[in-house]
Amino acid sequence: MFQIKWLWHNLKGYRVMYIMALCFSVVCQGLFLIYPIFGQTIVDTFISSPDALKNLETKKDYLIMLCLGIVLFTLFRTSLQYLTNILYEKTSQEMIYKIRNYLYENVQRQDMRFYDRNRTGDLMTRLSGDLDMVRHAIAWIVKTFLEALSLFVISVVYFFMLDPLMALCLLALTPAIFLIALAFRKKVGPMYVDLRERLSILNTAAQENISGNRVVKAFAREDYEIEKFGEKNKDFSDANKKAAMTWLAYFPYLETTCQALGVVMLFVGGIFVMNGRMSFGEFAAFNGMIWTIANPMRMFGNLINDLQRFMASANKIIEVYYARPIIIDRPDAVDHKERFKGEIEFKNVSFKYDNTTVLENISFKINPGETVAIMGETGSGKTSLVNLIPRFYDATSGEVLVDGINVRMLKLNQLRGNIGMATQDVLLFSDTIDGNIAFGNSSMPENEVKKYAKLAAADEFISKMPEGYETIIGERGVGLSGGQKQRISLARALAIKPAILILDDTTSAVDLETEKYIQESLKSLDFPCTKIIIAQRISSTKDADKIIILKDGKIAEMGTHDELLRLGGYYSEVFSLQNEGFEKVGA
Amino acid sequence: MSRNKFDIDEELESPFDIRHFKRSMVYIKKHAKKMIAALLLSGAAAVIALFAPVIVQYALDKTIPQKNFPQLVLLSILLLATIILSVLLSKIRSQIMTVVSQDIIFDIRSDLFKHLQKLPFQYYDDRPHGKILVRVINYVNSVSDVLSNGIINFILEIFNIIFIMIFMFATCWRLALVVVAGLPVFAAIMMSIKTKQRRAWQAVSNKSSNLNAYLHESIVGVRITQIFTREEENAGIFEKLSSAYRKAWMHAQYYSQAIWPIVDNISTMVSAAIYLVGLLIIGPSTVSLGVIVSMGSYASRFWQPIINLSNLYNSFINTIAYLERIFETIDEPVTVDDEPDAYELPEIKGNVSFENVTFGYDEGKNVLENLSFDVKAGESIALVGPTGAGKTTIVNLISRFYNVTGGKITIDGHDISKVTLKSLRSQMGIMLQDSFIFSGTIEDNVRYGKLDATKEEIVAACKTVCADEFIEAFKDGYQTEVNERGSKLSQGQKQLISFARTLLADPKILILDEATSSIDAKTERLLQQGILELLKGRTSFIIAHRLSTIKNCDKIMYVSNKGITECGTHEELLAKKGDYYKLYTAQHEERETA
Repeated sequence: MFQIKWLWHNLKGYRVMYIMALCFSVVCQGLFLIYPIFGQTIVDTFISSPDALKNLETKKDYLIMLCLGIVLFTLFRTSLQYLTNILYEKTSQEMIYKIRNYLYENVQRQDMRFYDRNRTGDLMTRLSGDLDMVRHAIAWIVKTFLEALSLFVISVVYFFMLDPLMALCLLALTPAIFLIALAFRKKVGPMYVDLRERLSILNTAAQENISGNRVVKAFAREDYEIEKFGEKNKDFSDANKKAAMTWLAYFPYLETTCQALGVVMLFVGGIFVMNGRMSFGEFAAFNGMIWTIANPMRMFGNLINDLQRFMASANKIIEVYYARPIIIDRPDAVDHKERFKGEIEFKNVSFKYDNTTVLENISFKINPGETVAIMGETGSGKTSLVNLIPRFYDATSGEVLVDGINVRMLKLNQLRGNIGMATQDVLLFSDTIDGNIAFGNSSMPENEVKKYAKLAAADEFISKMPEGYETIIGERGVGLSGGQKQRISLARALAIKPAILILDDTTSAVDLETEKYIQESLKSLDFPCTKIIIAQRISSTKDADKIIILKDGKIAEMGTHDELLRLGGYYSEVFSLQNEGFEKVGA
Repeated sequence: MSRNKFDIDEELESPFDIRHFKRSMVYIKKHAKKMIAALLLSGAAAVIALFAPVIVQYALDKTIPQKNFPQLVLLSILLLATIILSVLLSKIRSQIMTVVSQDIIFDIRSDLFKHLQKLPFQYYDDRPHGKILVRVINYVNSVSDVLSNGIINFILEIFNIIFIMIFMFATCWRLALVVVAGLPVFAAIMMSIKTKQRRAWQAVSNKSSNLNAYLHESIVGVRITQIFTREEENAGIFEKLSSAYRKAWMHAQYYSQAIWPIVDNISTMVSAAIYLVGLLIIGPSTVSLGVIVSMGSYASRFWQPIINLSNLYNSFINTIAYLERIFETIDEPVTVDDEPDAYELPEIKGNVSFENVTFGYDEGKNVLENLSFDVKAGESIALVGPTGAGKTTIVNLISRFYNVTGGKITIDGHDISKVTLKSLRSQMGIMLQDSFIFSGTIEDNVRYGKLDATKEEIVAACKTVCADEFIEAFKDGYQTEVNERGSKLSQGQKQLISFARTLLADPKILILDEATSSIDAKTERLLQQGILELLKGRTSFIIAHRLSTIKNCDKIMYVSNKGITECGTHEELLAKKGDYYKLYTAQHEERETA
């Protein structure tokens, strides 16, 4: 089975320890079987023997030694069992530690298409609940299986030594257990797949409700959300019940078959004793040991149940474990260690998403240090265009070149390490403001952080906060106004001194005075920097060396402010729209 | 409590005491009848199971020595019958308890979720969302078994112990005392590690919460991580959190795994003591040998339920670490809630007034002080001024997302703190800076504004806000699946959808907070028509930096750090030559230089 191979692969480094645990398990089972011998000896020697009273007089020391023996033996057995259990816990923890970290790294390097497909709540389920099932598999399922198996094998061997025919009669019931368990497995397998799907849906519903709590409140939709969540909660609960009920439908057959061993013992054993084939003592010995094969058989059903559950979860994890991003470093990628000059060129670039053309035949060139503004209607492809530069997506055709090299030929971390980007949808982390600005370089000293905050016109409001730069801001920067978030995001992008700075509508929620200030600081950066600015306001774009107007994914206009005004197209239209108010006022 | 981030353990505000258990009883009580039935069934099954050894004993004593074959057949059938009966009883018990345990976690999760809906913004702002999520999903899942089967088994084992004690004391009280003497030793050991064990499991729950919080943020913010090439550093942080969790888990296991061996050792010592005491001290002259043998077997049967109990105790300690977090959330005070005597706000006209309103997010630091103004029904008000001056705060107070610290806000003369939240907010349309998109179709997202809206109404709303065109351009049109993080929609398109959502709600009071900041100038121009439509007959508050958006407003308020410093029509404010004028000339100059 692939899943087992996968577990084994991830046990690397702890395999010896795990095998040790497995061996100890078997030893413990053996010790468990030996243990009654002590009590038996005491009873035989000092109680039921005809010389019991005499032995009690003469072999007092032997009795004390035997009692001491029981205690020491148990101490040894339980210590070994404790050690074994700790070894199981240790190895399973080490293994999921490794898997979890690997999954995290793998999830972090997936491209945008992966995130378009997978919901946050679903990924969370995989890295929490599903992973716990994997731990359970290695710490419990395998262990229990082995313990049951070794107990079963030892007993069967012992039984055969006592009386092969009797042993065979008892074993006659095992195929029945097997068949019932297999039928159960077939039925319950899909149910566990369904169950964890429900869990993932429930997780997603809760996650979106928590993240969107402001919208929920704004529309007073609490009741609706409760109802919606209630349905998912019910579905999950029902799926749980359904799986459990299926188990309970098979349980009576399995349990009755296991316990029926006692009936076989009584009936067949009774006949054997009657016809003298077996002594009473042997009957008693068989009868006393019958649990050693009944218990493992009983366990078998539980194991199958848990195994199906594990399979459903493992498959989901393995999916993410082996997910490979399409956008990766090429083996023959250019090693471009030095700082980029910041030249950008698009050559006949087209980009399709889901078979919809987003960008078509885009060609332009930006020289190092230039500022280029991109404008266009909502949905015209502005963000998609800049997303091609750090390779969030790859162009469908044509070439995107940075410093004259196709971005596909560059190493991702070198390419992205040279790009500072402030995205439209500002995402901040629940960390201090200092930690957020220094996100790209966490060892940055505080005065540097302050310097970039000043450049982004953020220092003033940060300093006014009671805890200043040490203020912890909520996830997504809640608690800050839109303009404040945008400025922190700008400071964060500037703080890595990028060769290429991409600002995607970064000042839309900033007041005009502040925007002016930011534009001034962008002009006087103390490092060379090519800037691409997406904006809606003429005030943000008019000073650019080049202005590109996108329309339906194509370049409609391109040139300087004056050139475009003269052209009398989209740009001049927007210009007059945005200045209409002033003309009236000015007049 | 100050804000929490992913690597800070949350302090537990109320330590565990017996109250938590009483709290759980609320959920358990509902199922009391079913649980009693299950208990009786288990008891019956146990009693029936007692017959099995009796049957075997009888066969060994009578049937087999007498070679009575027909009786052997009969006894075998009887044995099979008792087995089937007791298995069926156990099955029914398990069926009942499956329903009970699932219903208990269903109820706890529902209550937790319902309470979360009532909690204010602040609650969500103060901690990573992953930490809330993990409580709703993972923690609730882990408490089910202890609260259902755990309780039944606990009661059964107690009965078990009592029965065996009675048998033991009836057989030989002296040796019975020896058996029971192990109990205080066991209790002393358990008490001595109890606190440490509890702390250990609390640490597990804390570390798992931290880990999940960081994971959640990492998934949500993955684009930022990638653009800043922070993958490796993040992986390092995650490894640290992951390692802290692993350590906490192992630490808890050192205690938990130890309990069973401790019981086993005590029970063995007791057995050995019985032989020694029985044979050497009391002596065979006083105690019959048969008694010693049966006391030996009673001893192990006495300690087996104690082993089971200690296992239950183990999972109980473990579960409490989760349960206390769940109850902590359910008990989190709701700062913005309906007053006990709150009444439904009748259909409003839309007169809004602030009377000496004072407000601060943090104590002792007021954002607004003694703010007073009146807005007549149907008026449109623009709020302008520097970012962070309190514009958003003002509109948040009108929708009572926060309670005012002083003064009051009235709508049509009704104090908004005296009416039900639902009747208040459902008459307001609020378009926030963050336009959150739920996963689902575009149609579903628009419909969020009015749940019973027809398709026609939805399309009409989208047409008004100029969203229809781009929606129809998608292959699946209104049925296109979208989600929050997805890249199918641009920020401007998300805003248009959330605009349509607000329009559909048909509110009497409308609040637009930077609602159109990401929409391009041309679409915004087209949108003006829609906005004018939207403003008709409603009181509206508009926050915008783009002056084209606000120039048609009836009144403009300039909000600075000192409160509302200027208020009047566009022309009046310009004539005043104050802050608003400055703001204007800034743009004016730009036009000149252009």
